[in-house]
Amino acid sequence: MPMASEQTPASSGSSLTSHSDLLTEMQSTAGATSPVAPLRVLLIDDDPDRIRQVEEGLSANAVVHTASRLHGRALLDQISNVAPDVIIMDCDSPDRDTIESLRMVAQSNPKPIVMFVDEEGSERMNDAIDAGVSAYVIDGLTSRRVRPLIDTAIARFRQMDGLRNELRKTKDDLAARKTIERAKGLLMQHHGMTEEQAFSSMRTMSQQQGKPLKDVAENVLTIVGMLAGKTTGMGEL
Amino acid sequence: MTRELKIGFVPLTDCATLAMAKERGTFTSNGLDVTLKRYGSWAAMRDALGAGAIDAAQMLSPMVVASAAGIGPFPGEFMSAFTLNLNGNAITVSSALFELMSSRAPETVLRRPLSAYALKSVIDQRKDEGKPKLTFAHVYPHSMHAMELRYWLAAAGIDPTTDIDLVVVPPSLMVDALASGQIDGYCVGEPWNNAAVVAGIGRTVITSGEIWSNGPEKVLAVRKDWAVENHETHISLLRALSETSAWIDEMDNRMTVAQAIASPDYVNAPFDEIVGSLTGKNRQTGGELRVDMPDFNVFHRYAANFPWRSHAKWILSQMIRWGEALENVDVDGVAKSAFRPDIYCEAVRPLGVACPKSDEKMEGTHSHAWLLTEATRPVAMGPDCFMDGRVFDPSNVDAYVSGFAIRSRQNRLGESDTIQVSSLSV
Repeated sequence: MPMASEQTPASSGSSLTSHSDLLTEMQSTAGATSPVAPLRVLLIDDDPDRIRQVEEGLSANAVVHTASRLHGRALLDQISNVAPDVIIMDCDSPDRDTIESLRMVAQSNPKPIVMFVDEEGSERMNDAIDAGVSAYVIDGLTSRRVRPLIDTAIARFRQMDGLRNELRKTKDDLAARKTIERAKGLLMQHHGMTEEQAFSSMRTMSQQQGKPLKDVAENVLTIVGMLAGKTTGMGEL
Repeated sequence: MTRELKIGFVPLTDCATLAMAKERGTFTSNGLDVTLKRYGSWAAMRDALGAGAIDAAQMLSPMVVASAAGIGPFPGEFMSAFTLNLNGNAITVSSALFELMSSRAPETVLRRPLSAYALKSVIDQRKDEGKPKLTFAHVYPHSMHAMELRYWLAAAGIDPTTDIDLVVVPPSLMVDALASGQIDGYCVGEPWNNAAVVAGIGRTVITSGEIWSNGPEKVLAVRKDWAVENHETHISLLRALSETSAWIDEMDNRMTVAQAIASPDYVNAPFDEIVGSLTGKNRQTGGELRVDMPDFNVFHRYAANFPWRSHAKWILSQMIRWGEALENVDVDGVAKSAFRPDIYCEAVRPLGVACPKSDEKMEGTHSHAWLLTEATRPVAMGPDCFMDGRVFDPSNVDAYVSGFAIRSRQNRLGESDTIQVSSLSV
C-alpha cells in the first residue's frame, strides 16, 4: 500500500499535515500499540471545540464518552458507569477536586488522568506527573496530539503503578521476614530449638496446612506468646 | 530590590488577606511585586505550588497537614508559617430537609448550636422505610469542611461513613446541586451558604465557629525548600500579610473589603452575597433568622495568624479518627513539619505583634473570651470550645481519638498513599 511508505518518521515532525494524513497516522500508530478492545475515554469538558478535537483525534480507535455539565455525585456515577481507561480534563476545571476525592478512596480504581493546561510557564507542571497526576499537557490541544498523549499518559501511569506494586511487594516481603525471624526466636527461647529446627518445623507446618510461612509464624507468635504469659501486641485497638 | 512572587488563591471570601495586600499596596511597601493567580480547584493549585509554577498559596489547613503526614501528591513538601483566618464555614441543608428535621424534632432545631439529632431522626426513619441514603457534600477530601461536617454529624450519633453518602462538589456549584436535589446538604465557605439562604433553597443549620470556636481555616502554604532558599522574601511576605490581616480585622474596613473582593478579579460574586460573611451581620443559622456573628470570619485578633501546632494536631487527630492517617503516625513530627510558629514569630515580632510563647495550647477549655498571658504581650483570645464540650490535649492525641464512639476503624487510605506513608516511615 502506498500509504504505508508515506508513513515515515518525518510525518510526525513539525511540518504541516492535512487532516486525512493525521487520521492515517493515528490509525497506524494505534494499530501498532492498541489492544483489541477500543480505549474507553471519559472527557470531562464543557468546551465544544475541545470535545470535537478529542473525538476527532480518537475516533478510529477509542470510544469517547463526554461528561459535560455533570458535577459531584452525577460525575462520579458517570465515571463508574463508563469505567474509563483514561480520564481527560481541563486543569482549571473545578471538578478536579471531585476527581481528586476518587484518588484518595481506598476502594476506587486509580485511573490515568490527562490534564490540559493553557498557561505560560507551566512546563514545570510535568513535575506533577510523578506526584500522582499522569500527565499535564501544555499549550492546549490539537487533534493530532491526542492519541500519542494518551498513550504516553497510560504508559507512565502503568509504570508508576508497577513501581508502586513492586515497592509494596518488597515491603510485604520485608515484614514477613521480620515476623518469621521473631517466631523463630520465640521457638528457640521457649522450646529449646536450634535455629534450623525452629525454621524447619514452621516450614513443615506451612506445607501441611497449606498456609504461607508468614501466617504460620504469626500463629506461633500468638500461641507461644500466650503460653509464655504475655501478650504479643497482636491485638489491635 | 523588589522580588517578584506568584501567589495562588481561590475565589472565596477568605482570599481577602491576599487580595487586600495587593489592592492596598502592602506587598509593594514590603518590597514584593506580587501577581495573584486564581485557581478553580484545590488540587490544581496544590500541583502548581508543588511544581513551582507559584511560590505560595492560600491553602486549606488540612492540605498542609496531610502533606506533612506523607499523604497525597508532594508528600512532605509543604509547610505553613501563617494562618490566614479562623472560622468562616457553615453547614446548609435543603429547605425540604430542614422542614423534615423541624417536624421530627421541633425543639432541637430551635436551640443553638443546632445539633444533628433532628437529622439523625430523619435518617433513622428513612432507613426504616428503605429509602436511599441522604447525600452531603464538602469541598475537598482534606478540608476543615469535611472534618466539621463529620464532627457535627457524629456528635449526634450519625456515622458519616455508613449512614450518609459524602461527595466532593466544587463550592460554586453547591447551590445548584442543592436546588436540583442531587445533594441534601453541604459544608462550604462563603458566599455559598448565604447564597442558598437568600435564594430560599436552603437553611444554614450551624456555622463552623459553633462546631469548633476559632479553628484554623486557610493557611499560607509554601514549599519547604522555597522557604529555606528565600527566607528573607518569606519573612517580608508574612509581614505584609500580618499588616493586612490587622487592617481587615477592623470591622469598619469590612465593607471596603467586601467591595474590593466582589470584583471579577477575585471572588466575582455580587456584593450583597459577600458582605454578610465579612461583617457577620444578619446571618441565618439554626433556628435564628438574623443573628450577628462578628467572629464569623476572624483574620487577625485572638492571635489568629499564629500557626498553633495544637491546631495541626487536632487536624491530624480527625484524619486518624476517619481512617485517613495511620494510627501510628508521628503526631509531633507531623505537627512540627507542617506548622512553623518559629518563622511566624521571627517575621512579626519586630512589627510589635504579640507572639505566644508556647507552640501548643489545650483546645476546648474556653467557652468565653480569655487572656493569653504566656506571650510576648498578653493577647485577648476568643473561645476555643467544641460543640460537644470535649477537650483536646495536644500531648495525648491517642486518648482523644479513642474517646470517640463513632469513628472509622478501617484504614481508608488510597493505595498510593498507603505506600507513600509507609515509605516515609521506614
